[in-house]
Amino acid sequence: MGSEMQGAVDYSLIALQPDPDSEGFWAAAREHRLVVRACAECGRRWYPPAPLCPRCRSFDLEWREAEGRGVIASYVVVAHSVLPAFRPAAPYVVALVELPDCANEDGEPVRLAGLLLDGEDAAGVGVAVEVAWEEAPDGAYTVPAWRALETPQGATVWRLDAELARSEATA
Amino acid sequence: MARSGSGLRDRYCIVGVGETEYSRWSGRTTLSMACEAIVTAAADAGIAVDEIDGLASHQATAGDSCGNAEVASALGIRTNMGVDILGGGNSIGQLVAQSIALIEAGYCETVAVWRSMNGRSGLRMGGGAATRGGEAPRPQPVAAAGRGQYQVPFGIRGAPTIYAFEAMSYLQRYGYNTLHMADLAVTQRFAATLNPKATRREAISIDDHQNSRWIAKPFRLLDCCQENDVAGALIVTSAERAADLAQPPVYIMGGSARASTHNPSWTWGRPDMTEGWGAFVRERSFSSAGIGPEDVDIVTMYDNFTTTPMMYLEAFGFCGEGEGGDFVGGGRIHLDGELPQNTNGGQLSEGYAHGIGYLIESARQLRGRTDDLCEGWRQGEHTYDRARGCRQALAREDRRRRARGEPVEHPSPPAVAFCAGGGGAQQGWTAVLRR
Repeated sequence: MGSEMQGAVDYSLIALQPDPDSEGFWAAAREHRLVVRACAECGRRWYPPAPLCPRCRSFDLEWREAEGRGVIASYVVVAHSVLPAFRPAAPYVVALVELPDCANEDGEPVRLAGLLLDGEDAAGVGVAVEVAWEEAPDGAYTVPAWRALETPQGATVWRLDAELARSEATA
Repeated sequence: MARSGSGLRDRYCIVGVGETEYSRWSGRTTLSMACEAIVTAAADAGIAVDEIDGLASHQATAGDSCGNAEVASALGIRTNMGVDILGGGNSIGQLVAQSIALIEAGYCETVAVWRSMNGRSGLRMGGGAATRGGEAPRPQPVAAAGRGQYQVPFGIRGAPTIYAFEAMSYLQRYGYNTLHMADLAVTQRFAATLNPKATRREAISIDDHQNSRWIAKPFRLLDCCQENDVAGALIVTSAERAADLAQPPVYIMGGSARASTHNPSWTWGRPDMTEGWGAFVRERSFSSAGIGPEDVDIVTMYDNFTTTPMMYLEAFGFCGEGEGGDFVGGGRIHLDGELPQNTNGGQLSEGYAHGIGYLIESARQLRGRTDDLCEGWRQGEHTYDRARGCRQALAREDRRRRARGEPVEHPSPPAVAFCAGGGGAQQGWTAVLRR
């Protein structure tokens, strides 16, 4: 598996259907703004969007803009996709990205899944990333994706392949 | 921990079990398969089909199976209650619990719990197209609605891509790798070599696992459960009625039904995404049954993927936190090991029926009438010799004697089975059964 995605995703093969709970997220994405749901009453933040605050049950909600930088909490390398849209891109990496600037005070994180455009060699738990934007044809919709940043010195990065190589070497 | 159990402990039984063939192309309707499984389970119990007055089933995706009204009509029975629920691997334990509730409340006397699916030839999990040679159909746009809005446009669709995040996180958190996953796959496959109905019966090695193709890292092909067509059924009735029927009763001691993880509903947003519903229901599962993990002879742990049982074994206290990956190695979950797990080969090898297979296998094991290659299995005649095709497990005391090299002249079947179904960290059920 290489360092870049094989081919582009064919977003015309996905029919996005926003709903009243989600349309603000997708509208912001069109403007290249990454937003998560936040409670106007108690400040709780969460993703994906839901119709009420899971803590205080208020329906009075806001969209909080994230700075668009995060850290990979987990990832998957999809070799075989059941989505025709993603077959040209396989193998591709979906990263589960944690947004430190959206974290809740009690430690509950806010995490989004998205395509890691740099491919598998860049993937690892602990890798710093920055949001990038994928455009569907004809301006149909915009999807947040991720680009790897240089990992800060001293940061620990865990990669599955490294773990495998290490165990084989000691076997 | 309370040892008395709940007021419902041992008052209801699984008295009959049955299933159709596991296949990749049934060529049948889900209605036809459902009826065969129910008729087979009724015959196994020694009851007339007319005695069934309640039906309970689930569909993982609306329309992936028939409903209870159709099944009742096809069977020619009039039911007092039919329970149709929407759910996948988190459902079958809930249906067993609901059956108990229906009988306890006086709505029904005998309930058939069933699941029928053309999971390979019909509606596949993840919505992949059914293929049988010929050309693949032209791709159509896939709808991204509801929760799918946050998955499909990001490349997530189908169980391997959904469960990979928690699996990868588990490996990373506790320092495991795919060789630990291989241990589990190889051990369960060995059990399946002794299961005549298993979808996959050829033995596999660690190398076979490591050389199988990637599906969604960290999952290779041999980390994923099967896709197949099948129907299974269980007959649930009161312990009083069970005493007069054809099979040794299997008592339902306790359990928990469709427990969920609380907010965030996006399981991946939990601080520890590997810790879900299981740890939450551990106390309830054991206290309702009035036992502890040390009293359990055999387990089923939902094996949609090789990593899920590792997390579940920890959640229910069969090993310590972070020990699951090691626990599934070293022969501990083998038929003759410390804690035999998924003795039918599990969904990885026997086949995928969204969990009903665990309850069917556990019932047969507890009866001492496991359907293996021993000629007299129906009468409970087993050699307990794996080299001669025996899949019947022993009670834990007998296993320990054997392990010490002491003779076991009249081996006993397992006394208690702890069954856990679900999927991953998000939702699941438990059922504690005894003979």
